Amino acid sequence: MNKADIILICASPRPKGTSAMLLERIRAVTGGEVIFLPQKDSLDDLILAMQEATTIIISGPCYINTYPARLIELLETAASAGGFSGQKLYGVINGGMPYIHTHRHGLLCLQLFAERNHLLWQGGFVLGCGAMLDGKPLEKHMNRKTVVPAFAQFILHIKEGTPSSDSLYEQAQSPPGKLMTRIFASLLTFMVEKHIKKCGHDPKAPNWYLREQGPD
Amino acid sequence: MSGFIYNYYVLAGGKKIFLDQAGEEYMMVIISDDSIGDWGQALEKAFSHAGTQLVRFTADTLNIKPCTACSSCSGKTYGRCVIPDDMQLLLPKIVGCRTLVLVSPVIFGGVSSHIKKVMDRMSALGNPRYQMRGGELVKGMNIPSLNFYLVGVGDDLSEAERSAFLFLNEENRNIMNVKGRTFILDSSLDKVSLDKIAREIAHE
Repeated sequence: MNKADIILICASPRPKGTSAMLLERIRAVTGGEVIFLPQKDSLDDLILAMQEATTIIISGPCYINTYPARLIELLETAASAGGFSGQKLYGVINGGMPYIHTHRHGLLCLQLFAERNHLLWQGGFVLGCGAMLDGKPLEKHMNRKTVVPAFAQFILHIKEGTPSSDSLYEQAQSPPGKLMTRIFASLLTFMVEKHIKKCGHDPKAPNWYLREQGPD
Repeated sequence: MSGFIYNYYVLAGGKKIFLDQAGEEYMMVIISDDSIGDWGQALEKAFSHAGTQLVRFTADTLNIKPCTACSSCSGKTYGRCVIPDDMQLLLPKIVGCRTLVLVSPVIFGGVSSHIKKVMDRMSALGNPRYQMRGGELVKGMNIPSLNFYLVGVGDDLSEAERSAFLFLNEENRNIMNVKGRTFILDSSLDKVSLDKIAREIAHE
């Protein structure tokens, strides 16, 4: 594979977050150029790079069950521009929840984009609990024993230009049981409430916009 | 879009009602991306026929920037988004409504970037606490009893696109911990069917 033909697009506005970390992990093996999705201004240069590439890898966070709006805008604009023919497309999406199903739509979206626009969908990787990593290495993931080798296998598929099956990430992550879920819910709530209080707010107060428009 | 001013009043028992400048109570906010047709306007008319008080915005004509994941709304400015754009008009309206209806072209099995920007930025209205529902973690919204409907619009959609759209909204309702439904409309839909959908939503 010609390394110059690979582009790795980071769809997160955070340059040091988990999406960028995963992409860098891929780039270290496959080579290619990491491009951060411009959060404002024109997407034309990036679309040109996508048209000229042979392999495109998109890694992004999960915002309310799929990729962020700016990536959707990139896909819309790229579809309008056209000019794709057989580019291999791989996707990675990571989200806070420890489940596959809450983030999977991102990959469905990329697959449908590929099918509508003459790219070749090669599969992707869904990573639960990605937000907890906050850019730290995958070796810190709660399911590291299974996730690390599965992600390495995914990278190998990209390097070899072969399709990656959903079962790869599905088998690497199992959802926590009910007891663990209850513990997670209490622990995470404790942590976020502590943070909100530290910032000088009452976490149990009605939303700010509701308070602002209420009578004095 | 009406640039209206409104207030709320707290009734006995803590129930809040929201009044527009004419003193009318409103229940519903419609936010539509009308870039592929006047579906938002058509639904507004249908809801009006069903007797629903509402306000409507067209997301594709507003200046709404993408969420930057700055985390301010979950910390420093808890519950408030710091990006100074037209989303600051929408958030107070959304937080005050009983029913939110988003109308979007179906784009690759999801919503358009205009509607997605609105959804991403609604994180400022999210409940920071985690709950367990159906054995799984969910977060929910900091809006009591919100109903959320997603109306997708598109002709010649494949089965995969339709099912991805339905799947997305089901996941959205689950993570937001809200009730609601998904509809997918195409240009063959007549006014009678549109009125029927509006009545169904209005009466749920």
